[in-house]
Amino acid sequence: MHMMTVTQLGVWAGLLCPYLLTASIPQDCREDQGSLSRCPSISQEKLLDRVIQHAELIYRVSEESCSLFEAMFVPFPLQLQSNQAGYTCITKALPLPSSKSEIQQISDKWLLHSVLMLVQSWIEPLVYLQTTLDRYDDAPDMLLNKTKWVSEKLISLEQGVVVLIKKMLDEGMMTTSYSEQGVFQYDVQPEMLESVMRDYALLSCFKKDAHKMETFLKLLKCRQTDKYNCA
Amino acid sequence: MMKEVLEAVLLLLLLFSTPLVKAIRYSPPGKPALTRCRSPEKETFTCWWEPGSDGGLPTTYALYYRKENSETVRECPDYYTAGENSCFFNKNDTSIWVNYNITVVATNALGSTFSDPVDIDVVYIVMPNPPENVTVTVMEDKGWPFLRVSWEPPHKADTRSGWITLIYELRVKLEVENDWEMHLAGQQKIFNIFSLRSGGRYLVQVRCKPDHGFWSEWSSTSYIKVPDYFHRERSMWILITVFSAFIFLILTWLLHMNSHSLKHCILPPVPGPKIKGFDKQLLKNGKSKEALSALLVSNFPPTTSSNYEDLLVEYLEVYVPEEQELILEESKDLNDGCLKSESSTSDCDSGRGSCDSHVLLMDKCGEAKEEERQTDQESSQMGTEAQRHQKDWEEEMLTYAHEGMVSPDMSSGRVKTWPSVFSPLPQYSSSPQEQRSSLEMAKQHCLSDSLLPPGCMSSYLAQPGYSTKEALGSSYCLSNNQPHLLHPQTQAHGDVNIVGIGHKLAPAGLQSPVLRPTGYVEVQRINEEDMVVLQPVVSGRGRIESCPQMSQGEDYSKVKGVDSDNVLLLQREVMEEDRCPCEDLETNGVTENCYTSFTVTTTQKPAACCHTAMPVQDEMVLAMNGYVDTATMFTLPTY
Repeated sequence: MHMMTVTQLGVWAGLLCPYLLTASIPQDCREDQGSLSRCPSISQEKLLDRVIQHAELIYRVSEESCSLFEAMFVPFPLQLQSNQAGYTCITKALPLPSSKSEIQQISDKWLLHSVLMLVQSWIEPLVYLQTTLDRYDDAPDMLLNKTKWVSEKLISLEQGVVVLIKKMLDEGMMTTSYSEQGVFQYDVQPEMLESVMRDYALLSCFKKDAHKMETFLKLLKCRQTDKYNCA
Repeated sequence: MMKEVLEAVLLLLLLFSTPLVKAIRYSPPGKPALTRCRSPEKETFTCWWEPGSDGGLPTTYALYYRKENSETVRECPDYYTAGENSCFFNKNDTSIWVNYNITVVATNALGSTFSDPVDIDVVYIVMPNPPENVTVTVMEDKGWPFLRVSWEPPHKADTRSGWITLIYELRVKLEVENDWEMHLAGQQKIFNIFSLRSGGRYLVQVRCKPDHGFWSEWSSTSYIKVPDYFHRERSMWILITVFSAFIFLILTWLLHMNSHSLKHCILPPVPGPKIKGFDKQLLKNGKSKEALSALLVSNFPPTTSSNYEDLLVEYLEVYVPEEQELILEESKDLNDGCLKSESSTSDCDSGRGSCDSHVLLMDKCGEAKEEERQTDQESSQMGTEAQRHQKDWEEEMLTYAHEGMVSPDMSSGRVKTWPSVFSPLPQYSSSPQEQRSSLEMAKQHCLSDSLLPPGCMSSYLAQPGYSTKEALGSSYCLSNNQPHLLHPQTQAHGDVNIVGIGHKLAPAGLQSPVLRPTGYVEVQRINEEDMVVLQPVVSGRGRIESCPQMSQGEDYSKVKGVDSDNVLLLQREVMEEDRCPCEDLETNGVTENCYTSFTVTTTQKPAACCHTAMPVQDEMVLAMNGYVDTATMFTLPTY
């Protein structure tokens, strides 16, 4: 019932959007952050805040998943050398800044697009990760739940970022996929250790990228000095 | 000799030198270890290592690092900025989200030793500097002071651009205490602390943490002293305490003033035992057997020629009420009587009803009647004329009593006695002794029934139907405190009382048998205890012969009057015409009765008509061995 009322309201709001913008009432947009048709009247600040919260949560959960995985499956001597086996992060190819000075020079547009790129590039690998984790005999449920949650939230994050781009940059864009399918080799029966190390590398990379997303968004937020005061 | 000495010395030298040789041995350096790497602002970072043993030779340390996905190994750019055994990476050399593979190498002349490599990513090793410019001020909020703590982020951390977001935490404690009070402040840079101790000195410290990183060190301590302030709340409590203490004092004082009446109210006194021969002390001492044995009166039924006066209650009052109705309320009258009688304890009120109760009277009426019938029969054996007269009189009386006539015929001028009041008396043989004893018994019964000191109640004289062979042991149980005075002129309906009392009028005992004004009372005799035994004189019957004790020529059958204290003044008609109104002997007031005075006069010189009751008292007391409830006018031992 509640959804129906919201849908109706959303439809009406959508129809009357130009007239409502002047006196915009914050609608209940929580269930679907990125849906344009439903929640056009959410303010930019609120949207950005919500996006940042999403990113923070994703990072926290990914950090926990990584630790769990490391503790369970990765042999101790190999724990500190995440990339020893030569597995590189899938997003290495992306042109991302790696220092503060570089990042400071990036424009808002680039920041947002970078975030979007990151998000989009991780959606599929996470799904893949879930399948591989299911193959483990003794993968703890908590780990599985976390990864599942993360992949879900990532999708909603993508939607939110898309809306944000539209709002902030006045760009409409399609959700293009940056997935790099070539990276994943769907081995039928990989060796256990190899598989473990690969998954571990995957989780570590994702964790890092989640942090990147969060940082970019926070930088973006503080750049809006007229609305925020980050000092 | 010399050779041997030399050899010995050489040997010794060798022995001693070996340890020295050992100590001098050189070796490659021990393995160093990287202890930690920290970045204060996510732009630079420093790594510290712990050196191993140096192997005895000067050892140098070098730090090499390799960035992720690059094969180039570089050496630490700055060994000095961060201090001893450290490597500082400046902004140019720092890349975030990039794994560094760092190794430390210790080198000396003999070799070099590599430490274990460590992978770090700068974003995960952020530990900011403590917050700066921590200021604490005391502010006031509606009279209550509080502390306002404010600070700034460390100047190196770039929070303005959002590069780092810091959250803060502060801790407070009193100088004298040991425990810190922690407060998480979030991202704000101001914090208020409430609930301060007046006049206390506080220490405040702040620290910060990036959203993903390590807590900084605590900032330097700030001291602040809270000024003294008066607790308004406390002053209110003080007022309340003082006020309630005051009220409490007043209440206590009031209680103390009225403690006596309160005691009566809350803890009504327990009536003492009214058993002849009962010694409370014995019972208290635990010698119950002795106490109880004392109750067994040895001479009961009395076989010795005890004074008849013993049996009778001291005083006798005959009332003639003015009005028709005698409304005697037990409580009132008794109370009056009790209060007036000095020695009466408050057990006046209790047990009063037994002799007086209406029902009891009724029962006694019936029983007494039978008793009297029997005693009549017995008395008939006596054969004295007086007895017969008495009997007739009794019968008449009985009929009256039985019928419950309100106004019995008093034309005969009899004094109505009160037969119905008393409990069924044991039947005695018609021997004088027995009759005396019956009298005594009756009295005892009556007394025991009433459980009252006789003086308190009216003096109930056990009147078992006049079965005394003297043909008149008409001792009267008359109530004292009859408010109505006995007037010679009172009309016949005064008689009501005697019988009427027996039936209706409540507390019975109180109702005094009323003497017809024209009734005559004749003193039959005086018993050993100086009790006057009266008998009604039937007009025309003349004197009863058997009044041996009566001094001849004395006739106390006329009621002269009743004085103000409800004392019956009997007129003594003596040859010598000695009028001697009987005056009451005030000891307790109303409870006096003529009886006393009579005894006095009779036992002593006639001239001394009125006497104080003291001697009599003594006699009374003495004579009444074991009677507990003698008249209260005589000071009796209270229970």
